[in-house]
Formats: sequence, structure tokens, C-alpha cells
Amino acid sequence: MIRRFGTLLGLIAIIATFSVLRPDTFMTVPNWLNITQQVSILAVVAFASTIVMVTGAFDLSVGTMASLAGMIAAAAMQADLGIPLALALALTAAAVGGAFNGFLVAYLRIVPFVATLGTLTMFGGFALLVSDGSTIYGRAIPAAFGGFGRGGIPLGTIDGRAVLLPNLTLVAAGVLIVTWLLLEHTGYGRRLYAIGGNRVAARLAGVRTRLALLGAFVASGVGAGIGGLMLASRLASANPTQGDGLMLNAIAAVFLGVTLSQEGEPRVLGTLVGVTILGVLANGLTQLQIDTYVQQVLTGVIVVGAVAVGSLRRREA
Amino acid sequence: MPKFLVRTLAVFILATSFAFAQNGRVAVMTPYLASATTRIMVDEVETALQDLGYTVDVIDTAGDLAALDARIQDVILQDVDAIVLSANPELVPAAVEAAGAAGIPMFGLDAGSLQGLTVDVTSNNYAMAAQTATYLVDAIEGEGRVLMLVHPPYAPVQKRGAIARAIFDNTPDIEVMDEVFIEVPGPLENARNAVEAVLTANPEPGSIAGIWAAWDEPALGALQAIESLGRGDEGIVIVGLDAIGPAREAIVGDGAFRATVAQDFVGIARTVAGVVDEALQGDDVARRTIYVPAALLTRDDLR
Repeated sequence: MIRRFGTLLGLIAIIATFSVLRPDTFMTVPNWLNITQQVSILAVVAFASTIVMVTGAFDLSVGTMASLAGMIAAAAMQADLGIPLALALALTAAAVGGAFNGFLVAYLRIVPFVATLGTLTMFGGFALLVSDGSTIYGRAIPAAFGGFGRGGIPLGTIDGRAVLLPNLTLVAAGVLIVTWLLLEHTGYGRRLYAIGGNRVAARLAGVRTRLALLGAFVASGVGAGIGGLMLASRLASANPTQGDGLMLNAIAAVFLGVTLSQEGEPRVLGTLVGVTILGVLANGLTQLQIDTYVQQVLTGVIVVGAVAVGSLRRREA
Repeated sequence: MPKFLVRTLAVFILATSFAFAQNGRVAVMTPYLASATTRIMVDEVETALQDLGYTVDVIDTAGDLAALDARIQDVILQDVDAIVLSANPELVPAAVEAAGAAGIPMFGLDAGSLQGLTVDVTSNNYAMAAQTATYLVDAIEGEGRVLMLVHPPYAPVQKRGAIARAIFDNTPDIEVMDEVFIEVPGPLENARNAVEAVLTANPEPGSIAGIWAAWDEPALGALQAIESLGRGDEGIVIVGLDAIGPAREAIVGDGAFRATVAQDFVGIARTVAGVVDEALQGDDVARRTIYVPAALLTRDDLR
């Protein structure tokens, strides 16, 4: 029990520690709503990455795809194309980028690490090209778009301050539900797990593995695109590199989630736990005034430790 | 695992919990601490505020603006007394708005915009770029091909590039051969690689008259490229901006690097600390941008 749910217990221990040490500011409704908002963008990218990682593949391009989607939307809004068309253009580009990844991996049989490493650079280059390297911000971004990332559903007031259920949290919850339904409750999800288990066996069992893989990469690209749009909305700006850092954290979150799975497979609810651990650590360690660089080391140690414990558990099983 | 976490956290908490506010607590937030110049300013403002009796938390998000937004929200919830921001506030509008709503004043440390801030203390990037671009035009006698090393995503550096380009475009016999985007982090090495490629593609002596770098690290990279390819005797003139230590040393030597501009980073940081103190002591602080003068430093000045 402890071995199986060690990561979850670790999260509970982390929360308990921060609650004891910062009782006035950590375990409060505003702070938890703040944490959900802070992790929402990473969560969406990580949920989408889970879909690809279920098949045993990787998508290293999600970070630069997020940057690219944000840049395309911002450039379209700057050109007065309107918010709906800007969003549609960005998500179409994300889907096409994902499909290109899927084509490279499923049809040209390029190793996912190599294929998406190449497209990582490619998408990053496109993001720079869109605005000639500049950041798009200020009046170019419509108030409604920037307002969405800052807004939410009013829940009341605490200590005279308005408390909102952030819109970005709601978007992340929606993506979580869709991903969970897709992976756990559809035939397509089962086929993806079958590919992850043994691609050859899945193909011999009648699974159209190439098409299924292509679909997984499209989903990953679209998820990264949604994450990039959320980021652009939250910051009311688009910078050609602002989503790049999401990739490593998304993969770390998926790996943390894998430690909760008996079979050692990525599960989207496990990814949610992984994302929460990263978010809570960042928030709590900042509240404890721990040096930023120590925070980074500590977070890395915890990720490696959790994954190592999970790996040892499976070896013993 | 939980035991490990608790123990590790306990060590750090013990190590950090001895600090307590005397006059108050100030958070210094930046995504750019890896930059040499930001480091100088942040270290100086930290020391100056500590000398004034404040507890200072320095938080760097390593280039990540979303993390900067999140960490600002965290310190707001902790009710810090003031926030010093070393980044453009227009890139984290939600956090700036939240600080305003919570009544926490924000001060810009070379932020480049006053939006949502009480005061921004900075150098005038337009003026500094005009100083180095004009120096370069004069040094190459208004004639030849110029390579620009730029980084437009960072607004202050974008301003520098825009004004330098305008000056070059306004000089009839100067041709801007390219504006090369220098990636950060790693500006020195990225600039060296880029300039080596440009030099290799332009092998004729005299085919490049000058290299204008938006800050010193790419200028140093350009200098390394010229020297490694043995093109140091062609009279190529390099100018940088910021006057960091290695740039000053390079300018004093006999190489192609000829001038930079010394921003008064210590002055900027101390001015910010002073303004923060005034505001937190209850003095009226007028909302404004304070420009701290910067000086062109040439080889003659440094020798």
C-alpha cells in the first residue's frame, strides 16, 4: 500500500509540512485557488503529453509548440483578425504540427526522441519568425483575451478580497476530463495502451497502430496549443520562447504519475498528482523563502527520488 | 519518501527561518538573474535594502515569465511590504494588477515600463543605443557593412536595436548586412557561433566594417569569433553596451572591441532601494520613471 501510493503519501506529507510551517498563508482557500491557477497551464500540456507517453513515445516539442501557438494567436490579434479566428489559427497550427510529429514517428518510423527534438527546434524557429523575434503585448492583445486569463467565477470575498475560481483552472479541469474519458473509457484509449504495451502485438491484434499514433501526436500538439493560448492569455502577451520550459516539467509530471500506476503506465490522474506535486512545491518553497536555486535542486531530487522508488518497487514485484 | 521530504524541508526551513523583518519584507523578482547586469543590480538592491533594515527575498524564475507571474502571486499572498520587479511589468499584467489590488507597491529595477509600478528606475535605452551606434558610424567613417546582434524579445534590448537601426539606415553609405537574433541564455557562445558563420560567408577583408551588439556579451562573442578566425587585423570595429568587467578588459586591449556604455547599475539599484524605503516609511513618492545617466566608454577613456 505504502509502496504503491508512496508518491501520493509524499504529496500529502509535503502539504502537511507546508501547512504546519505556514499556517496563515499556505492552507487557505485563496492560496489553493492560486495554486490551481498556477499549475493549470502545465497541467494541460502534461495531460496531452500523457496521451503520447501512453504509447511509449515522447513529444519533446510541446514547449515550443505552446510558444508557437501563443505567437500565432497574438500575431493574428495584432492584425485585427479577431479573437475567434486567432484561436482557430493557433489550434490548427498546433494540430498540423502534432500531425507532422505523428507522421514522422508512425509512418517514417523515426525514433520519437529524434523526430520531436527536430520539430522542437523547428517550432521554436517558427515562433521567432512569426513576430521577427519580438514580444507582442500591450494594445495588440485585446482586453477580452487578456482578461480571460486573469478572470474567473466569483466565489465571494475573504478578508475583503474577491475570491475567484480561475478560468484557467476550469479549462484545465475540462482538458483533464476529456483526456481521462479518452484514455480510460474509449476503445481508442485502450488501443493506445496496447501500443504502449507491445506495438507489434497490438498491430497483430488488428490495431491500426500508425493511425492511432498519429492521433496521439495530434492530441499532444493540440494540448500544447491550448496551453500556449492559456499562457498568452494569462500574461496578456506572447513571447517566442515563453512556453519552452513547459516540456521538461510536463514530462516530469507524467513520470511522477507513473509511479502511482501498478503497471508502470502513464495515467492521466497520476499526471494530475505529478503536476500538483510540482505546483505545491513551487508555491510552498517560495512561501518558506527558500532560495530559488535550492528550490530547483530540491524539486529535481524529489522527482528523481519518487521515480527511483517506483522503479525499485516494480523490480521487486 | 515522506520522511526524506520532511527531513530535507526541515533543514532548509531551519536555515531560513532565522531571518525576520525589521522594517519590513521586500521581494525582489526577476526572470533574468543569469544576466550579468541583472545580477549586479539585484545584488546591490538586496544589500542596500538589507542595510536599511529590510528582509529581502530574491526570486529568479530563470527566464520563465509564467513562473514569474506565479511567484509574484505567492509573495502577494504572503503580504510582503513591497515588490521590486526586474522585468517588464507589461509581460506579467495579472500579477501587477493583483499586487495593486492587494495594496502592495511595486518598483521597477530597470523594468522598462511604468505600467502598474510606483516608480521605475532605469537607463535610457534609446539614448545609450544612440551613443554606441553614433560612435560606430564615426569610427568606420560612415561607410561600410554593419552586422547587428540583437534580442528583440527583451523590451529594453529591442529599444536599443530599433534606435541603432534607425541611425544606420539614416547613414547613406552604411549597409546593415543582417540583424542576427542572439539566443539567451548563452549569448556569448551563440554570438561567437553566429559571427563566425557570417565571417566565413564573407571572407574578403573589409567586407564587414563594424559589429553593433545590443549588449556586451554578444560583443565579446563577436570579438572571440574575429580572433579565432584570424580576422583581427581587418579593422572591424565592435561596440557593445553595459560595460561589464570582461568588456572593459577587452576594450583596453588591442582588439576589435572599441566601446561600450557604462550604465550606472549600482546607482540604479541604490536609487530603487532609496525609493522603496521612502515609500515604506510613509513618504509621498510621485509615480514616475527615473533615468540614471549612462556614459560612453571608449578605449581612450578606459586607458
